[in-house]
Amino acid sequence: MRVVIGLEIHVQMSEAGSKLFCDCKADYRGFNVNANVCPVCLGLPGALPVVSEKSLELALATSLALKCEVPKFIVFTRKHYFYPDLPKNYQISMFERAGGVPICRNGVISFLDPSTWEWKTCRVRRINIEEDPGRTVYEEGGITGSPYALVDYNRSGVPLLEIVTEPDIETPRDARLLVEYLLLMLEYLGVTNPRLEGVFRVDANVSVGGGERVEVKNIGSTLDVEKALNYEILRQTKIREAGGVIERETRHWDAVRGVTRPLRHKEYEEEYLYFPDPDLPPIAITEEMVEKALRIAEKADLQVLLGELLKLNVPPEHAWSLLSTKPSLELFRKTVSLGGDPQLTARILAVDYKGELREQGRDPYDPSSWPPLETVLELVKLTLSGVYPYDTIKGLVIPALASNPQARLETVLPEKAGDIEVAVEEVIREEVKAVKDYLQGRTQALNYLVGRVIKKIGRKAVDPRVIREALEKRIKSVRSA
Amino acid sequence: MRRLKQAWELARDFREGVEDPVEHLYNVFEAINRWEARVNAYISLESPDLLVEEVERISRSIRVGERIGKLAGLLVSVKDNICTSFLPTTAGSRMLDPYTPPYNATVVERLLEEDAMVVGKTNLDEFAMGSTTELSAFGPTRNPWDLERVPGGSSGGSAASLAYGGSDLSLGSDTGGSARLPAAYTATVGLKPTYGLVSRYGLIPYGNSLEQISPMARSVRDVALLLDVIGGWDPLDATSLRVDRPRTFTVSKADPRKVTMCVVKELSEGAEEVIEKAYWRILKKLESEGVELRDEKLPVASKALPAYYTIAFAEAASNLARYDGIFYPTKGGGSSWEEEVELARMKGFGREVKKRILMGVYALSEGYRDEYYIAATKVRRVVRDEVLRMTRSCIIASQASPILPPRLGERLDDPLKLYAMDVYTVIANLAGVPALVQTIEFHNGLPIGVQWIGKPLGEGELVSLGLLVEELTGLAGVVAG
Repeated sequence: MRVVIGLEIHVQMSEAGSKLFCDCKADYRGFNVNANVCPVCLGLPGALPVVSEKSLELALATSLALKCEVPKFIVFTRKHYFYPDLPKNYQISMFERAGGVPICRNGVISFLDPSTWEWKTCRVRRINIEEDPGRTVYEEGGITGSPYALVDYNRSGVPLLEIVTEPDIETPRDARLLVEYLLLMLEYLGVTNPRLEGVFRVDANVSVGGGERVEVKNIGSTLDVEKALNYEILRQTKIREAGGVIERETRHWDAVRGVTRPLRHKEYEEEYLYFPDPDLPPIAITEEMVEKALRIAEKADLQVLLGELLKLNVPPEHAWSLLSTKPSLELFRKTVSLGGDPQLTARILAVDYKGELREQGRDPYDPSSWPPLETVLELVKLTLSGVYPYDTIKGLVIPALASNPQARLETVLPEKAGDIEVAVEEVIREEVKAVKDYLQGRTQALNYLVGRVIKKIGRKAVDPRVIREALEKRIKSVRSA
Repeated sequence: MRRLKQAWELARDFREGVEDPVEHLYNVFEAINRWEARVNAYISLESPDLLVEEVERISRSIRVGERIGKLAGLLVSVKDNICTSFLPTTAGSRMLDPYTPPYNATVVERLLEEDAMVVGKTNLDEFAMGSTTELSAFGPTRNPWDLERVPGGSSGGSAASLAYGGSDLSLGSDTGGSARLPAAYTATVGLKPTYGLVSRYGLIPYGNSLEQISPMARSVRDVALLLDVIGGWDPLDATSLRVDRPRTFTVSKADPRKVTMCVVKELSEGAEEVIEKAYWRILKKLESEGVELRDEKLPVASKALPAYYTIAFAEAASNLARYDGIFYPTKGGGSSWEEEVELARMKGFGREVKKRILMGVYALSEGYRDEYYIAATKVRRVVRDEVLRMTRSCIIASQASPILPPRLGERLDDPLKLYAMDVYTVIANLAGVPALVQTIEFHNGLPIGVQWIGKPLGEGELVSLGLLVEELTGLAGVVAG
């Protein structure tokens, strides 16, 4: 049966610096409870919202990156509903049918399937700028059983983008890929940090075989986008096959149990009493603002960035790996601009170094997990010089750097082959008894000899396997002599 | 009837050492002691000790020749819907009794910068919803000129405090006439500024798109003095105009031969006979001085009142959604969140407020929005266009009130009669233009006012005309008793 999926993606503009309408911080994480608040985001009587220029600039850049029609001016509306974490009991948003004018209409997102290198597109219906509510924390027993709830308003007023797509998506996998790609775009635009806890939420509308659409709310990760939709499609298909009818409804994604549950029936449109917010007169989108936002959008164009990589003959999978880990791409571009070999640099950064970071459980998205430009440049040159086999670089140097990116390269370089041979020679001469023991079959004697060689070489990084091999080879030649 | 020195004269005399601000403070205390128990102009009064301390500081500064602010030594009363961090701010509602905001309104900051002393917070109809100051949770305010009568509303406390000498200057607010109607009823002067000239930051909102904090005083020059201190752009209010501080204090009396006045039929008719007669007397007098009178019509005026109330109620319903029993002192004592909200709002709001919320919700509801709210905004646009067209070439003359100050209780029974008191004043709020009300004569001891409506940012011209009229009437600085 044909599946039609549309998404509504809420992303916090965590990198906007301030909240949407006041000077409190956009990234509220790490604050004590109710410490990132002021009269404006608490909605105290008389306090007034003033739109943050940075939020507006980033929203406009997003709108341009998604090739939207940009309006001449934007208009905020109020949406009313009573809820404890909504201090004014209305949310400032941009509802079109009540005089609101969103920052984007009729855009399109092209997103990449990195495993097939296929580009897909989905139309974007609109993008709203709106404010996040606070957070309600229920004590033991959860929303139904808890005798009370606590509200933390640190999040109240954080700028959100609500990005609504047309129902152009055909598979749950594509839905996930779209969200992943979109988040990557927003990361490059400097809008958001997709890895922050709770920074985005997805609501998905899905209909199967032309049936009523069902909305699945509260999806909090890209993997869950795919899981939730797979579940929902299976559920709807089963009902259809059994001769049942799908009713229009809103369901809730339970990530722990991996199921969707009915939330409420949408029998009527809720009454939100929308009207233009009289505290926020229409804001003109000037040519100057568009110019500035366009420059941001152009610098962050993922297709252009990928194209540049491919032009340097970086294999597509390495190119995608670099792109999807922003610090590695930045390092790559700088290294290459200073003469580093593109393909080798890509391989070191996108495959081996990143793999090693994962291996060691370090965060590849944290720029401090990566070595400085000079180290990378040196490493690339050294690798090309052939002084060390790539296995040594990969097996020894990269792991050492990954665990200490600020280390100077020479301190993590192994001894060159010649130095090891000299040391082996000396040890064999000095440790006659141990050599004899080994020749007589006491294999543990070799460990002792390895230790002696390491000690002789000193504190420099050295691979014991290499020494062991050198020792065995040398002793063998002694015996045959 | 007595006459007091105008506030600007007092301030000048303090500065020059001719008058002693300490002695003046005690005079004001005496007036408050004599009148307040009967009039009930204040909801809260500043501690006399603190004021004495402050006035002695100012007195010392004057003696040693330190720089002092424009309002040094003057006592300003502030309507209790304007936030002060040092005195409770109740908006005349049980919902906010007792509530002390954590911040000062911008206008209050500006008062303090000029060394004004805030003597107390004045009574008002709950959340400024009313035209008589009878609808306060703190009891009605009475008119010092006749204690059986109302002082007008909703800034009745401010007007009454001026009328008995309990303050030198006052800040009111004017959503549909709330500063001007009380001015007309108490022989004081009220100036509703151009929308956006005075910051609303810290004004507890009733009808955001209509209202302005408004200077009130016993003379035109005093109103200008206060306007110059509180006006001008405020980055905390997105609806505030990007203009410098106004300079109206220094304008001179108008040359009558250079004044053109539009006598608008719809705004000149319909008042009680004594008022109409007084109105024509002043117009004829002005004409004889050389003012050009031009007949004009404003056919849309009959729709202005319903349009005004529809917009104000809609905005009020939204603004008052935040009072839900969480942040503010009146609690419902409910056993669930929903019940808490219901009970808190039931207990905290008075009847008139509830009525207006219900009507506002109705006007914004799906299916009715077009018929009410949207229709009202269309009327508003026509009113604005017409008034802007007219005021380009003239100052509009208008009645201030259709009736003399009514007796307490007289207007409360019939809401339509109550609302009709604003028939002449709402025009300026719908159009966003400035309007000044001043007294032209007394009838049986009751003042009769007149209204002048100007072009956007035409406050200077209104003050100039007001000075001329004041000279003709000789009523500057009068107080009751």
